[in-house]
Amino acid sequence: MNSSSCAIVTFLLLFIGCSARRLYPLPSENENTKKPLQTFRPFNVAHRGSNGELPEETGPAYLRAIEEGTDFIETDILASKDGVLMCHHDVTLDNTTDIAEHKEFTNRVKTYEVEGENKTGLFIFDFTLKELKTLGAKQSLSFRDQQYNGKFPIITFEEYIQIAISATRVVGIYPEIKNPVLMNQHVKWPKGKKFEDVFVEILKKYGYKGSYLSKDWLKQPCFIQSFAPSSLVHIHNQTDLPKIFLIDDVDVTTQDTNQTYAEITSDDYFNYIKKYVVGIGPWKDTIVPVKDNYLQTPTDLVTRAHAHNLQVHPYTFRNENQYLHFNFCEDPYMEFDYWINTIGVDGLFTDFAGSLHHYQEWTSQSPGKVDATKLLKNISKMIRKFEFSIRK
Amino acid sequence: MYSSSFTIVTFLLLLVGCSARRLYPLPSDNENTKVPLQTFRPFNIAHRGSNGELPEETGPAYLRAIEEGADFIETDILVSKDGVLMCHHDAILDNTTNIAEHKEFADRVKTYEVEGQPITGLFIFDFTLKELKTLRAKQWFPFRDQQYNGKFPIITFEEYIKIAKNAPRVVGIYPEIKYPVLMNQHVKWPKGKRFEDVFVEILMKHGYKGSYLSKEWLKQPCFIQSFAPSSLVHIHNQTDLPKVFLIGNVTDRTPDTNQTYAEITSNHYLNYIKEYVVGIGPWKDTIVPVKDYYTQTPTDLVTRAHAHNLQVHPYTYHI
Repeated sequence: MNSSSCAIVTFLLLFIGCSARRLYPLPSENENTKKPLQTFRPFNVAHRGSNGELPEETGPAYLRAIEEGTDFIETDILASKDGVLMCHHDVTLDNTTDIAEHKEFTNRVKTYEVEGENKTGLFIFDFTLKELKTLGAKQSLSFRDQQYNGKFPIITFEEYIQIAISATRVVGIYPEIKNPVLMNQHVKWPKGKKFEDVFVEILKKYGYKGSYLSKDWLKQPCFIQSFAPSSLVHIHNQTDLPKIFLIDDVDVTTQDTNQTYAEITSDDYFNYIKKYVVGIGPWKDTIVPVKDNYLQTPTDLVTRAHAHNLQVHPYTFRNENQYLHFNFCEDPYMEFDYWINTIGVDGLFTDFAGSLHHYQEWTSQSPGKVDATKLLKNISKMIRKFEFSIRK
Repeated sequence: MYSSSFTIVTFLLLLVGCSARRLYPLPSDNENTKVPLQTFRPFNIAHRGSNGELPEETGPAYLRAIEEGADFIETDILVSKDGVLMCHHDAILDNTTNIAEHKEFADRVKTYEVEGQPITGLFIFDFTLKELKTLRAKQWFPFRDQQYNGKFPIITFEEYIKIAKNAPRVVGIYPEIKYPVLMNQHVKWPKGKRFEDVFVEILMKHGYKGSYLSKEWLKQPCFIQSFAPSSLVHIHNQTDLPKVFLIGNVTDRTPDTNQTYAEITSNHYLNYIKEYVVGIGPWKDTIVPVKDYYTQTPTDLVTRAHAHNLQVHPYTYHI
């Protein structure tokens, strides 16, 4: 009797334990109380996280960007040998990790053709997730803070998503379908799935859906970006999430369709691609060409894109002196001012989300509640000086 | 008859011409309409002009700084061989001018002791004003805009003052009595005058006077700065213009009195020097020490300076 009632009690306890609700909600569940995404001024996109301060595309880099006020955290998605989608920009691991110290991997140095050029190194798709997780990220630019080298692992697409979802305010994600031609060449997924399909599946798994500015989208904002137009077209019917077509330098052709810059920035092409994307992400020095480190006359790219109702999110804004053209007097705020107010872009990829956030907070506060009386008073003040000429 | 009336007319015309008023005022005449110096927030001091964009201490560097809204344009005063006060930071001309291209000067390379260290180069006080004016300034930081190299001359103290006075708004000057020990060693002025005396004379000649925030001072604001406390004390009775005592690194000593950083930043010293200066200009990394490119806990230097009613103008903020 004793042992059977003991068993029943234990079973009951187990049953209750497994079906009980958590006594407290996780941050991600408090969606109603989260501060929403701002949509009244150009988007602040933390390019590879706050990689100005921390090793790119690591957890801490993304957490720092969120802390600094970014609207979106950006990442590049590649694939591991066992088909796990990873956050990493370079196809090789040499510059951004401590793999050089891992003698067990030295025999995997390979040479592959990447977008028409031969590249030698330790390629991400030659390593399983488990192996990749033994590496420590490092700051690839020597003049940036080296103190975190070797401390943080590289993360998966899913880990990156969880960082965004768990933020205490609404933070958007901006993942790139990176080197899809190369990924599909070297990695195979079951059921004939392509890299792009798995990419979208993961987004859906975490509840990412909805067209630009829809209610669903505003809860979990997301832009999908790629240099490969066919990839964006391929996923067009799989998700209504907004897509951004990335455009490289004037002498680079698209990796999948081999089209030139001139072609993909023509009005004809915009007419075509705008059915699939909500905007373009050009390299900023093609929008406003540069000579002897001085800006030249702006091209009409932004004007034409806007005429086609396409947003423009140029890359990449960096604070350091060597990236600032002389027109900006070594002042990154002057650069932000030019691009936001003179050129009129809709979003900015920056390595320094904190700086952009400060600039935007100081120069464009949320309109908030509009005091109608105050507004009318201001208007009357402005037109009062024209009273006499109007009367005449 | 003809020639004498002609003479009279010519004379009359000369008389009228010489005594007539200008038909238009020069900018510096319009003092009543100039936007005054702001005094409600910390001073923006253009260190060597906008030398981030243009070669340091040149006319265009100062004009650019004024255009950009600086409150004060700052300069370092050294001396030419013939005793003319010049705007130039380095004792040598090698890094900031194209003197290397002037083969006629190559034989004047010298080695002198400058504040305890031997320096070799072409020293400014070995060249007359005329010779200095054949040189052209260059941007010595390689990562800054090099396009103006060889275009602008180095300027005199008086030319610098005129730039400030002719600005369309009130712009202050912030000249430094630089290397006074070295200058007095190598250059002599008549009547036994010292470098510091000539410095003040020029300021007075151009109407600079008045204690800090006085009416006169606000019309033509000016801070006199120096690393040499004895120079500041020396001119104390010559002008009531406010003076700022510059403080170097923790390992440096004053060039004239050989005092240590610890000594000249002590409460005792601040108590003494405040009779002569309105503020201090310390190197910012001594106010807040730096380790591995990170700032550490701030020292109490600013707090103590303020307790002695001394302003603090640290140098230098680079991007």
